[in-house]
Amino acid sequence: MPTGFGWDFRTQYQKCQWENHEYKGRKYKDALYEKVSDNIARITLNRPERRNAFSDGMFNDLGAGLHEANDDPDVRVVIIRGAGTSFGSGHELSSPTEEESPPINPKLNPTGVDYYGLERRRCGKHEDIMNYPKIIIAQVHGYCIGASEIVAQMCDFVIAAEDTQFGVRGFGRFTFGIANWPGFWPGESQKAWCGHLLGEISGKEAADGGMITKAVPFAQLEEETMKWANIVCEMPPQILFFAKEWLNVIADISGISTAWRQHYAEHLMLQYVHFRPEEVSMYKVRRDIGLKGFITSRSAASTPDAEVK
Amino acid sequence: MAWKNIKYEVKDNIGWITLNRPQKLNAFNDALLRELDEILNQAEMDLEAKVLVFKGAGRAFSSGQDMSGIGTSEILHPDPWSRVTPKELLEGERRRQRRWEYIMNMAKPTIAQVHGYCLGAGLFLSMVCDITIASEDAIFGDQVTRMGILPTMPLWPWMVGMKKARELLFTGRNIPAKEAEAIGLVNKVVPASKLDEEVARWAHGIAQHHGDALAFAKDAINGVMECRGVGSAFRITTDLQMAVLQRPTKSEDLAFYELRDKKGLKAALEARDAPFKNFP
Repeated sequence: MPTGFGWDFRTQYQKCQWENHEYKGRKYKDALYEKVSDNIARITLNRPERRNAFSDGMFNDLGAGLHEANDDPDVRVVIIRGAGTSFGSGHELSSPTEEESPPINPKLNPTGVDYYGLERRRCGKHEDIMNYPKIIIAQVHGYCIGASEIVAQMCDFVIAAEDTQFGVRGFGRFTFGIANWPGFWPGESQKAWCGHLLGEISGKEAADGGMITKAVPFAQLEEETMKWANIVCEMPPQILFFAKEWLNVIADISGISTAWRQHYAEHLMLQYVHFRPEEVSMYKVRRDIGLKGFITSRSAASTPDAEVK
Repeated sequence: MAWKNIKYEVKDNIGWITLNRPQKLNAFNDALLRELDEILNQAEMDLEAKVLVFKGAGRAFSSGQDMSGIGTSEILHPDPWSRVTPKELLEGERRRQRRWEYIMNMAKPTIAQVHGYCLGAGLFLSMVCDITIASEDAIFGDQVTRMGILPTMPLWPWMVGMKKARELLFTGRNIPAKEAEAIGLVNKVVPASKLDEEVARWAHGIAQHHGDALAFAKDAINGVMECRGVGSAFRITTDLQMAVLQRPTKSEDLAFYELRDKKGLKAALEARDAPFKNFP
């Protein structure tokens, strides 16, 4: 098992992550690529049995789909959505040890450089989605947790079902740094801050707080998403690239690149955490009572008075 | 000095600056800009004017830049086919940007009293004012991306957050006053019949404070924004607009200026907005 993760990474200054994944002749499996119309491409995250948790295979297929859409001169907007009951439940925590989606297992004895390289690759994917040269719309329903929430937030528009659940108790979105929510960057009003960052919020609450574009009843989700996609297609070519670049530069000027790096470092530091006996340790609990048991006990620990579902 | 396109009056420590081209919905042209620059110079130095209120005569606050192309070489960037050197283009863009930045940094509180249309450059003026109070019938928006031009107001993400900034600028849609209030573009919305009274109440209330304290408080807030890069954001906006204006156009781009010159401004604006008619 190679542990030299640090030496294998490519930074955003070289090829973007999606350009690393070839699409010619590709049999999409964990994320599916299609053209809805000449100008609209759609990528469907396709591990519904795992609530579209991100495995390495899904990230690779997502990257290939973005690459294909980017190279297609007719495509002006990309929709990302999830198959089944959810948009996505975050990183696949049950992935095989050698995969990069779950946290690195301490058994691999990684160095600090290995950890940092992994975080850079993991978060580089998200950053590259934010800097994607075409417009992306996230069509969100069901669970949208962790890394899936970050992917959705990297998109230019987020259209969600009103009963979407963003985040989960015990995890929220404040845990892993400010880069999770460029939805409020750099506005940072009290409305979007603090209480809304800690636990679960619904699609409706996220829309009311200005953190996503719009929330609609689930039955209208697909139609609403297509409406926005069609509007984007009416805009003059090229201008949206420049307008998006402009807003991203403003985010950069106000410090988002530093926030990403702080995010890598924070993730890395969390790997070195030594749990006290009363604290919930994922590795220990998952080993003892399984992943579901870990998620339940984490929620219970964070909100002990709440009803645990 | 007799100003024609703007009225300026100081009364009870409030400087009332009224955009006065009601027949053109107070659209900004070069003449209005010249008068605005003179009035701002005077208002800045006038210790009797502790608070400045910007408002519009007639039916609207301002419909934005005068798109007619007549007497507009300062407010609008040059037409695509005009032979302007990159240096002249950059200098013109910088002047357009710096005016908004200057108003944002004036050493006294500013209030935008908005009714009717508040679009384009009118919206920029509202955004760089410290406080905006609007009537229920006010409409806010910037359609400039529909014409293939960058929206040159970098305060968008600061004021409404990234998601709303993208939504409004990537679609060019207008929003009503209540929605503008909800997302942070407007401080308060009142019925049209109460607008004058509400703004006067705020202006007089603020003017009770010591002028120096107001100046320092404002500068402290603007200083924080400066630390976060708002000055650089204004600068990069100018530079990116240059890139946009000099890009090669494609056949599917709307030929707005050609259409305006052949069929008139009304037809050009209708063609610009036609694809978005059913989009709220």
